[in-house]
Amino acid sequence: MDEKVPRSNIIETEIPMGTVHPAALEPYRVRFFVEDEIVQEAEITIGVNHRGIERIMEGLPVEKANALTEKICGICSNSHIWNSCRTAEIGLDIEIPERATYIRVIMGELERLHSHFLYLAHGCEVLSHETFSMRIFYMREIVMELLAMIGGNRVQYGCSVLGGVRPRCDLDEAKLLRLKNDMDALEEGLSNFVDRFLADSILLSRVTGIGVLPQKQAIELAVTGPTLRATGVARDLRTTMFEYDNFDFNVITQPDGDVKSNLIMRALESFESIKLIRQAIANIPEGKVINRDWEMFDTDITESYIEVPRGTLYHSYALESGRVRHCIIRTPSMANIGAMQYACIGDQITDAQLCIVQCDPCFTCTDRAIEIIRR
Amino acid sequence: MFESTIVNSVLAVILTVLVCFVISTLLPGIERKYVHARIQQRIGPIVIAPGIMAPLKFLYKKNVEVSSPVPGLYKSLPIICFIVVLCILIALTPQAYQIPALSSLVAIVGFLKVEEICYVLMGALSKSVMSLKMPFPDIVKGGAHLNAQRSFIEDISAKRSLRMITYGSFPLYLALFAPVTAARSIFLSDIVAYQHAHGPFLFTVAGGIAAIVFFIGYMIILNEYPFSIIKAKSDVIEGPYMEYAAKYRSIVYLTRGFFMFVLGAVFSVLFIGVPPTIMSWGILVNIVVALIFVFMMGIFSAFSPVFTNRQLLPTILGATLLGILSIVLGLL
Amino acid sequence: MGLKSFSRARAIHVMLVYTGGCNGCDIEIVNSILSPRFDAEQYNVFLTWNPREADVLVVTGPVTHLNRKPLEAIYEAIPDPKLVVAAGSCALMGGVYKNCYGDIPSEEIEGPVENIIPVAAKVPGCAVRPQDVLAGVVTLLPTLLDAD
Repeated sequence: MDEKVPRSNIIETEIPMGTVHPAALEPYRVRFFVEDEIVQEAEITIGVNHRGIERIMEGLPVEKANALTEKICGICSNSHIWNSCRTAEIGLDIEIPERATYIRVIMGELERLHSHFLYLAHGCEVLSHETFSMRIFYMREIVMELLAMIGGNRVQYGCSVLGGVRPRCDLDEAKLLRLKNDMDALEEGLSNFVDRFLADSILLSRVTGIGVLPQKQAIELAVTGPTLRATGVARDLRTTMFEYDNFDFNVITQPDGDVKSNLIMRALESFESIKLIRQAIANIPEGKVINRDWEMFDTDITESYIEVPRGTLYHSYALESGRVRHCIIRTPSMANIGAMQYACIGDQITDAQLCIVQCDPCFTCTDRAIEIIRR
Repeated sequence: MFESTIVNSVLAVILTVLVCFVISTLLPGIERKYVHARIQQRIGPIVIAPGIMAPLKFLYKKNVEVSSPVPGLYKSLPIICFIVVLCILIALTPQAYQIPALSSLVAIVGFLKVEEICYVLMGALSKSVMSLKMPFPDIVKGGAHLNAQRSFIEDISAKRSLRMITYGSFPLYLALFAPVTAARSIFLSDIVAYQHAHGPFLFTVAGGIAAIVFFIGYMIILNEYPFSIIKAKSDVIEGPYMEYAAKYRSIVYLTRGFFMFVLGAVFSVLFIGVPPTIMSWGILVNIVVALIFVFMMGIFSAFSPVFTNRQLLPTILGATLLGILSIVLGLL
Repeated sequence: MGLKSFSRARAIHVMLVYTGGCNGCDIEIVNSILSPRFDAEQYNVFLTWNPREADVLVVTGPVTHLNRKPLEAIYEAIPDPKLVVAAGSCALMGGVYKNCYGDIPSEEIEGPVENIIPVAAKVPGCAVRPQDVLAGVVTLLPTLLDAD
């Protein structure tokens, strides 16, 4: 695959879009430098969403800080609270009951499902294919209802707490049965959709070869998550996480790194998630869901990496008499911004928004640690 | 005698236009509720909402200062568009066949061209808040290409409508001239008379092909979804119509529904030979044709993404070749 | 009921502005309009992205510093009568972000939305539920219908 080089010497005009734009679900500014509608260079400005959540976390009791991490992102809120709890658990050496680990995995995979469905729906919306977008949103509702059933809220469920999961999120027989039935419905719906999508030659011609991100560039830009896997690199942190030790799943890769690869990537990964949830339902052990038998002590800076729907999430903080110090959060979209700018190059301006969306941006997560210099 | 004929004709034309206009306001609602919403498995709005109630609501809104370099021209463009569509409908009525200059295909093509030129002007004159005017510190130290010329998203839209004029609307015009090859006359009265004598042009081989081409051209000139590059939601939002508010937006809404109906009427005159007039039951054919076109357009647009140049060029090229084929067949 | 309020009740155009929330409310609101499950169009509520077309502006998020001016500009662009719905606890009171720096006034958070533009209806929740957003837009109807 050829390397795409930004050609800044033949820029005809600049077209800014944002901060409010139908193709972007969140506020950011993008400036496209175009020559006859072909994007030659793109500049994404983030920082519009900056709220300073790490500053709020500084000095809070660790339990409160964990609950606060959910507010970083409304799409992958469970991942943030999971990883934040995990950081403290690694630092304080808390043993998590087996059942709690399983429930966390179920929540994590449900969240991956809803995030990937949102990705597919948003992708179809940017393609201006309203019907497909609606169909995916309809399937996504099943997942949202399940999340609401387990966590009690449609978006921020607050499932993980230090030492396990909230007792409210414990799964009884009825909930497990509903989970199982809904997974069947979801698999059927998704496979029907994928068949329909791949049979649609107009849609395929619209997404094939658009927004290509070559593997070499992806590694150079330190892209993570499904966007990296769609270029053919089988790198998934779930293979190294102890939570997933008892699970059997495949790391999906796609060869091309274009929009089509990315869309198929998400769909196939959703099937893997359904498989993982089924395994969890089948093997979920009995026992308590929370271990309250631990002691607080001061720790050094502890780090934790997990795989979230968009890639690698990093949390780190130190504990000082039960309070959070030196908190750092690094979200996957931070790494993927480079890929977004790169993928746009050489495509038409109608496709450019699609190229940004194909990297699954979540600037709300990303806008935390920047320095705003004001005069 | 002569005066009463004129009065009667004018009355008939006015009544026809009124009936057509009232029916045309239902068309966007029918498309939205009975086609799009049904396909998307939801209930959808009431039928009168997009076509009648939305324009009425906009009439009652307070007007705002449009942000445009030439506000007067910009505001007059939707009115011009509406008058153009009205003129096409009047040209189609049998009463107008007395005026050969109006009731010929050349006049209709001319009117359609004016409509297209209006899109270019609208796009070039609209300066919406949604792109460049958004107060955001773009030009700061460290930004890329600080000296580049900056454009609004509507400017892309204007360029695209220019492109649509040069090649996009070609299929429609070819399809318009296909019946001419059979009737050997560009006057609507001759075309109608020919079809009364020889049966509808639609049911010949050349007519069938030309009808398909006409349908593609119909979607292109209405900017409906697969071909809506000048107002694609994913980049230019609403393109040329961005700045219209209050009563001007109301006219934009009404024009769209009316244009759908009038293009259906053009089809029924050229391909079936039934001119729209209140004086005969033939107007029912016009209404049915308009409805069929709306349903077909709704189904097509619900199942296709917006096209970019890569899909647009082959589609238009294919349609153009089909159009040429139908004309050649008609000549043979 | 006059023609004015009759037509207004049957075509409500809603525009969304995200001002730096956590995405939760944004997606729930888009969901409430785009998904067939909640389908706001059956109540004749249409989603638009053009301020010139909108009647109701739904604002989410605590209005970060860089978002203040765009929000004002978009509000200015909407022709009268216009109403604002603030959705989600961030838009209502700044949410968890408001007291970011304790007693030191935050430079980042300009919100709640009330500080910047007049708010007609408030939809609470973190994140708001789609049903609540629809209810919020519908409660605005009397105000909207009677406006001149």
